[in-house]
Amino acid sequence: MNRALPEMLPCSDMTVLQRQRARLKWQAEQFQQQSYFCELSGVFTSQNVHVQGFQQGGLVSGCGGGDSVLSNMEMTRQLKPDPGLEAAWPELGKVDMGFGSCGYGNGPSFDMNHAISRTSSCPPAVAAAAVEVKGNAEKMGSAVGRESFKKRKVEKLQNSKVVAEDESKRIKASEEEEEESKITGPNTNKITNHKKENSGDTSKDNSKVSEVQKPDYIHVRARRGQATDSHSLAERVRREKISERMKYLQDLVPGCNKITGKAGMLDEIINYVQSLQRQVEFLSMKLATVNPRLDFNIDNLYAKEEFPSCTTNFPTVGMAPEMANHSPYLQFNPIQQVVSGCGVEMGMGMGMNSSDMALRRTISAPVSIPDASFLNTTCFTGPQQQIQPSAPWEVELQNLYNVAFTDTIEESDLKMEM
Amino acid sequence: MEPWKIMQPSFAAKYVGYLVPALNNIGKQASPSVDRCIDTEKIVRYEINMALALSAEGFAWSHALKHKLRPNVDNHNHAGKSQSYLAHDDDHRNTIPVNHEPAAKKLKVDPKRSETEAAEEEEERLTYLRKLIPGGSGEMMVDDEILLSELGSYVSCLELQVNVLRSMLQFN
Repeated sequence: MNRALPEMLPCSDMTVLQRQRARLKWQAEQFQQQSYFCELSGVFTSQNVHVQGFQQGGLVSGCGGGDSVLSNMEMTRQLKPDPGLEAAWPELGKVDMGFGSCGYGNGPSFDMNHAISRTSSCPPAVAAAAVEVKGNAEKMGSAVGRESFKKRKVEKLQNSKVVAEDESKRIKASEEEEEESKITGPNTNKITNHKKENSGDTSKDNSKVSEVQKPDYIHVRARRGQATDSHSLAERVRREKISERMKYLQDLVPGCNKITGKAGMLDEIINYVQSLQRQVEFLSMKLATVNPRLDFNIDNLYAKEEFPSCTTNFPTVGMAPEMANHSPYLQFNPIQQVVSGCGVEMGMGMGMNSSDMALRRTISAPVSIPDASFLNTTCFTGPQQQIQPSAPWEVELQNLYNVAFTDTIEESDLKMEM
Repeated sequence: MEPWKIMQPSFAAKYVGYLVPALNNIGKQASPSVDRCIDTEKIVRYEINMALALSAEGFAWSHALKHKLRPNVDNHNHAGKSQSYLAHDDDHRNTIPVNHEPAAKKLKVDPKRSETEAAEEEEERLTYLRKLIPGGSGEMMVDDEILLSELGSYVSCLELQVNVLRSMLQFN
């Protein structure tokens, strides 16, 4: 059908779509066999395939191989030979068949640096030739033995490293490459995020991305000069995720800004985790020695929190100081316990007998996990101004609050306004 | 990582909420004895770790830590383990300097070393990290990506824990 397209076809999506549809049939056959890759390799090896062009063109494709790991991959191939134009083109035409040196399904997100946008620059003649070539290519594709596919893949990988050829060729190649054939594999799902990423990366690419997308297709594009087989695509995605996590860890672990390299970073992380664990161990030992005294003053501390007049309404408790009513306190029993626990030592020696009543009230109140947002937002709404340290322990509590929470929550809380 | 950022603010509050009552309970228990000093340490350590595990629900490491501390009936592997992951890690810790230095020295190797060597180094460090984080050797964290995410939350939790403990002791 597409072959029937006669005259010069402007580089347009229509052409691409039509071509793709035409190709789908025979492609489907080959995909099912999963020997897809093998097929074209032979073809290409024999030729000077400007694989680079293809790769540049963003051959992306996740082969929906049945055994593809990522079910989300979809195969998109670019077929587009334009043999009429140059000697190298015939090869391209063949390439399109198999081009899918696509990664099969491993959730790859490629970033296509170039793209399809190039097609727009193709002269009409190219398109016409492309049509013809396409016909030929398809025939070739079917005729090509599957065996050669693997070789082609290798060659493509090699070619990817070849220095860029001249621009005209590439432009033409890109036009050809733009056409993408959708291949349905057993495990194809649609991943649209990659496409969006790609579009962000390359302005050119967007234009030529085929709009005809079945819901279960995923377009993945390879970067320029990079291998596009499914394995390396998946690898690349995985590596990107890992490096993203490493960056996060780098922010977390102090003193890692200057360290480059994964091994060094991991070293630092190891050291940091060990030191933290040792600190916890040490602090726990200290706490154990202090522990017998802990229960002395908890009553006192509990009591203090109950006093509305007390400015213990206290940021540590996570409540706005201006809140005088008791109900919020009851909601924040855990926090109250925090205060009491932390301030236990402070409360030492402060006999506040009247606190017993308040204490019992507190204890009997249901314990509920305080609302994090409330805690955080109020904590930071100027605890310092609102606290009037009328008692020495209040000052300590305030300090405690600052120490305990500022460090730990500063980043997240301030940003969180739930 | 995102869920952790959401959980982070409440972690400290939860942690104290778990730990303080537990510590109080220790104080109210049996009469003091010589052995109790040692036991107290263990108990305190246990409570600290338990509070950590409970305050950071939803992570593989917290789950693993909980199981380590509270061996389930059906989990025979944990049946004989010590309650404290720290105690367990003592063995690792003792071997840390020994194991770690060679790795550190490797960093000074010629940067042009082959990729495989670098990969091996990384692998070595990753396995080391797996020992450090609770549940790191388990099935949940086989994937490197997951391991690194868990590491992120674990490190943050450890930091928070240290801060809370430090402030609890500060006014002693």
